[in-house]
Amino acid sequence: MAQATHVQPDAAATAAPWQPRIVAFLCYWCSYTGADNAGTARLKYPPNVDIVRVMCSGRIDPALVTEAFARGADGVMVCGCHIGDCHYISGNHKTMARMPLLRRTLAGLGLEDGRFVHEWVSAAEGEKFAKLVRQVVEQVRALGPLDWPGRLRERGVGHGMDLERWREHA
Amino acid sequence: MTTNGKLKIGMYWAASCGGCDISLLEIGPHLLELIAAADVVFWPCAADFKYKDVAAYPDGFIDVCFFNGGVRNSEQEQVARLLRAKSKTLAAYGACACDGGIPALANLRTVDEIFASSYLDNPSIDNPGRVLPQTTFATELGDLEIPRFYPHVLRLADVVEVDYQLPGCPPQADRVWEALQAVVAGALPARNSAVKVACTDKSVCDECLREKRLEKIAAFKRPHLAIPEAGWCLLEQGFVCNGAATRSGCGAKCPSVNLPCRGCYGATGDVADQGAAFIGALGSLLEAETEDRARELIDQVVDPVGTFYRFTLASSDLKGRR
Amino acid sequence: MSARTLAATETEREGVRIGVFICHCGGNISDVVDVKQVAAEVAKLPNVVFATTHTFVCSDPGQALIEGAIKEHALNRVIVAACSPTLHQATFRRAVERAGLNQFLFEHVNVREQCSWVSEDAAGSTAKATRLVRAAVARIRHLEPLDKRRIAIHPSALVIGGGVAGLVAARDLARRGMRVTLVENHPFLGGRMAQLDRVFPTGEKARDLLARVIEEVVRDPRITVLTDAEILDSEGIVGDFRTRIRINPRGVNEHLAYRGNAIAACPEETINEFDFGLSRRKAIYMAYPGCYPPMPAIDWHTCTKCGKCVWAVGGKGIDLEAQPREIEVHSGVIVLATGYDPYEPLYGEYGYGSFPRILTLQQLIRLLDPEGPTGGQIPVDNTARPRIGFIHCVGARQIEGVNQRQPDGKVKDYCARTCCTGALHAALTIKEHWPQASIVSLYQDIRTYGRGHEEYYEKASAQGVLFIRYDPRHPPKVEKDPTGQSALLVRVNDLLSGGLDLELPLDLLVLATGVVPHDISELINMYRCAVGYDSFLLEVHPKLRPVELAVSGVFLAGCCQGPMDITEATGAASAAASKAAALIAQGNVEMDPFIARVDETHCTGCQTCLTVCPYEAISRDAETRVAHVNEALCTGCGTCAATCPSDAIQQFGFTDAQVVSEVRALLTAARAATIA
Repeated sequence: MAQATHVQPDAAATAAPWQPRIVAFLCYWCSYTGADNAGTARLKYPPNVDIVRVMCSGRIDPALVTEAFARGADGVMVCGCHIGDCHYISGNHKTMARMPLLRRTLAGLGLEDGRFVHEWVSAAEGEKFAKLVRQVVEQVRALGPLDWPGRLRERGVGHGMDLERWREHA
Repeated sequence: MTTNGKLKIGMYWAASCGGCDISLLEIGPHLLELIAAADVVFWPCAADFKYKDVAAYPDGFIDVCFFNGGVRNSEQEQVARLLRAKSKTLAAYGACACDGGIPALANLRTVDEIFASSYLDNPSIDNPGRVLPQTTFATELGDLEIPRFYPHVLRLADVVEVDYQLPGCPPQADRVWEALQAVVAGALPARNSAVKVACTDKSVCDECLREKRLEKIAAFKRPHLAIPEAGWCLLEQGFVCNGAATRSGCGAKCPSVNLPCRGCYGATGDVADQGAAFIGALGSLLEAETEDRARELIDQVVDPVGTFYRFTLASSDLKGRR
Repeated sequence: MSARTLAATETEREGVRIGVFICHCGGNISDVVDVKQVAAEVAKLPNVVFATTHTFVCSDPGQALIEGAIKEHALNRVIVAACSPTLHQATFRRAVERAGLNQFLFEHVNVREQCSWVSEDAAGSTAKATRLVRAAVARIRHLEPLDKRRIAIHPSALVIGGGVAGLVAARDLARRGMRVTLVENHPFLGGRMAQLDRVFPTGEKARDLLARVIEEVVRDPRITVLTDAEILDSEGIVGDFRTRIRINPRGVNEHLAYRGNAIAACPEETINEFDFGLSRRKAIYMAYPGCYPPMPAIDWHTCTKCGKCVWAVGGKGIDLEAQPREIEVHSGVIVLATGYDPYEPLYGEYGYGSFPRILTLQQLIRLLDPEGPTGGQIPVDNTARPRIGFIHCVGARQIEGVNQRQPDGKVKDYCARTCCTGALHAALTIKEHWPQASIVSLYQDIRTYGRGHEEYYEKASAQGVLFIRYDPRHPPKVEKDPTGQSALLVRVNDLLSGGLDLELPLDLLVLATGVVPHDISELINMYRCAVGYDSFLLEVHPKLRPVELAVSGVFLAGCCQGPMDITEATGAASAAASKAAALIAQGNVEMDPFIARVDETHCTGCQTCLTVCPYEAISRDAETRVAHVNEALCTGCGTCAATCPSDAIQQFGFTDAQVVSEVRALLTAARAATIA
């Protein structure tokens, strides 16, 4: 029967040492401003965390998190306003319930503790954000690459008609 | 085979429990109408057919072939490809073929763990030699081969192009008969593997006769430990009912007999990850003002993976355990 | 994600023409991120027809570049990679609109606050910036034109803080026809200015000037003054803030006739914070002579409700059982005028708290005040020829590793601005009353920067004040005099004499202390204010928008923003009032259009969304059995979009396709593996 074939990642990608790739979903009003404050204070953290902004942490669908891991993120962060401080009153209350439930589900799917991080960061907490990023990058680095797409390829998933989901996009 | 103007239909069972084949029989007296309009040219569950017979058919010979069950081994993939070539229309029938179904829960285990449980370490196994199946074995009469066991349960759409999906575990007979009538009349909707037939475009909540009071969930309950109040939404009462994230067409039969929906018709709309969709919804419905309270409630949900992905793990974003 | 978002896998979208502009920010970005390399990488992406860099994209030439490129290259999408969108997203949206493009077909990527400023790793930051811009390209393909919504602005203001800045802001706002509510935490107006005696450079009495402003405020029927009030919470957005305020009971009302009797009868005493701990006051008290409101207040922490004051006044005018009340104030704008606190030296800092005869400058000013606790006398043993020393830059211009860290782990490295002039003013006041006093000033630099301030330096020098310049890395050391001939000995190395080590016997040491912002962490969280490293509130732009916060509708007045003198604080207050009034004069404010909408063909009727909206904007049509969002009530949080288990609710500007394509682009960049 047809064996799954795959092209080796190009030499440049394999030659460079692995760096944790982390996606962080931040709410615009608190945590994004908190991240900005880390910048205005010139605090330093490693460039492994890419920030995706949404207006409220309530917008963060658990499917965005599973999508990120499925696409190859080694870690995912979700940050929002502290309870009681949400710009939209109670958007973060939903986050508060969804994320722990998602965490338990991800643990059931074998995701190690420390890859999925959910924290509240206020607009004034630039230091907290910088410290959090440094901590998460190091803990993900210690856990090693997750490479979910690679894992599924090894299991023979995606050699059928669903393979368009795993193609590279620009 | 003679050509007599009748439709040629087929049904194959892969990694399956047999329930889908039985569900086809459940159309009951309509079976007579069916066989008046169509010849069954391949249905291993019901009668004796050989693969070589199917291989001998011209391509596109089968007008409509229903494939139920997931793809767990090389034989099932081979037959899927064979049937794709020999069928004008190939439909994924039932939750396993559409989304992986119950067999896809095996994706939470490795092949080694599955073999150990099936052949080595079960209390009812007597295998002192710790013998495991081999895929080839040489004999004097030649090599014996058995299908290779895949490391992952796949959906039909993962291996071949699929024209239609009939969701459900199993698809309900009255809807199946509607779909078959459309087949006979040549009136199926335009081909597209995302098109689901023998179902509706709504959620189970829409068909369910229980009433929503728009209250938040104050505590979770298990259906074997508490009796639901009649007439009131099961989820609001605290029974984990996946209905809001599940496609309807089943008539909401389970909630009508006090059983919370288990999600067997798969995701609504064209949502890929049913579990994540439901987590987003469920997290929004808890009565919790503080993090401690939210965690307290969430800890009452038993086995989130099994509850939210019971039938659709192979369709989800992560598809299985690491 | 739904199959509809699988459309996000497309690498190219027909008809989309993207222009990318990457800002150097004068080196702020380009010193770390190789912006030209990023532009070159991004130019290769499908749909990108123009990619360039510029020194300051927010400048007029930068904006002109964008407008020109839109026309020349027929761009229908624009990306700017620069500072945080909180600063210039509005600027670029306007530029894009001027060129005829819908302003929401613009995407702002943050490669400064969240990239170049937070890393010294040039290669890593360049790669990150490239990823972020690629993600914006993926996202922008899915953006659709949108229109802003308009919200009416409530023509009223809430001013938080009743010191001179708050008073001036309130007065100026009311003069423009606004209704103003002025909220002051203490039972008395006046703030820190009331604690001064005479102000520089005119020598007028501070409390007289204050009284004039207070009278203007109090007499204006458009202004409501609330004292002894605290902000409980504040919700809403510009144009429509709703603030809950608790007004604590004063315990005293206007029927009280014999104020002096009431105060004299009170047996409970506590430290008088007005005199910085140098005196005591009763539980029922008036803060200072001429204070407003001109009636006592009860300090409930100290009061034991013994009732002696009630007895002493014949039962009228005092209510020991008075209760707090809560009100809600609706306002279109907020002005923060919460002021400063003087720096409190750490225990042992220059001997503070452990040696006798050491005061802060603020304490000295209270003592020199003829209406102060000692009637203008200063506590020295040697009255014949008192030797008084000032150490400048205490709690200011501190150096990491030299000065002790504060409890928050940082050093106060900023100049506190007013203390040099203030210290010299105090020195001259001392000389006025005690010409025989010998005064020495130990300083790093003399910063008498204001108009008329340099005269204090010249006068002080002419009157014999000795100036000793010390190296900030080697601050003076203070000890007790073991011989007892003076109170203290200060050792310092004098730079002006070429490095002589001096030992100065002093009868009194004054620490010219800096200032810190008054603690308003709850307000900062409520209004989501940006805060600088120095803990003061951060304006949007120090030159172009000095009194505005990034949060729309909230303005800054006075020392909450940074150390400043009364001249500067009142100037800032008037500026804030002017800006706030201009906003209100617009009549309405434009809101971002990121509202949610239900795709009624995809709604599966599960009703999960109905209870999740914090604004109760979602309802159900009983006939069609589908959900509907009331777009007038929707504020654009997106919670319902995440809740919907069928992906039938989409939030404009943050649709699944837009967000998912951004995420996918971040992760698939530089991965070359494909599947055959």
